[in-house]
Amino acid sequence: MSQPEPEVGSAAAQELRYSTVVTAVGSMVPEFTAEGLLVWFAEGAPEELHEFSVLHRPTVTAGGVVPGDLVRLDGVELRVLAVGPVANANLVQLGHLDLKANGATTAPLVGDVCVEQFPLPTVEPGSRLEILAGSTLHIGQTEETA
Amino acid sequence: MADYKAVTIEKGRGGWGGPLTIKPTPERNLIYSVTGGGIHPVAARIAELTGGEAFDGFRSSAPFDKIACAVIDCGGTARVGVYPMKKVPTVDVHATSPAGPLAMFIKEELFVSGVKPENVREAKGK
Repeated sequence: MSQPEPEVGSAAAQELRYSTVVTAVGSMVPEFTAEGLLVWFAEGAPEELHEFSVLHRPTVTAGGVVPGDLVRLDGVELRVLAVGPVANANLVQLGHLDLKANGATTAPLVGDVCVEQFPLPTVEPGSRLEILAGSTLHIGQTEETA
Repeated sequence: MADYKAVTIEKGRGGWGGPLTIKPTPERNLIYSVTGGGIHPVAARIAELTGGEAFDGFRSSAPFDKIACAVIDCGGTARVGVYPMKKVPTVDVHATSPAGPLAMFIKEELFVSGVKPENVREAKGK
């Protein structure tokens, strides 16, 4: 029929930048969690990193995480506020993520992904982490009007 | 008989710590690259100058007592402290300063950062 097609392919599905399932949790992770920090590495990372890391098996590794994106960790959703300059390379190449729930709007360290200050959930094998593009969320949009 | 040479590794622009002098031995000959994308050029350069063996830590693992030095591309939280904690001299290609939960282990004589291949030179008179 002559129904006009939508210009943009329906934005129903948010773009998935990263998706992974936890396979193991190191013995020091609870202490890190209590400090608002989760260190992630993909399975296969050197053994000396396992103690304090969340190990995981990613299924989507597109990367390109930017402020305004959304981190979904099991039931908790956290807004990305700052992304260090090497964080995306770490994520895509090594499955490595330093996730800090510190509310910082500039990354203190170059590998950081900072989200809202919020108690991090206890992750366990089977937990799922997803990072979703924020473009469809219309968060903090600033329109420049001259 | 392998003939190992010493190198001096200085901090690069904005870096911290060092300089480190690294000389592999037959027992401790691995230049352990714990970096994204395979052996990092800094690890390759250290291996080339010292005669040590460049080793990709994300491909297989090595015991700590075989590692002459670790090369990392850490943004400052995790890998930055692990190797110093185990007393392994550590070279970070990013210009990080001691930080994170393992910062207490990061000492000038075990850690140097901001390192580029040109910061690795033959040690004089060694």
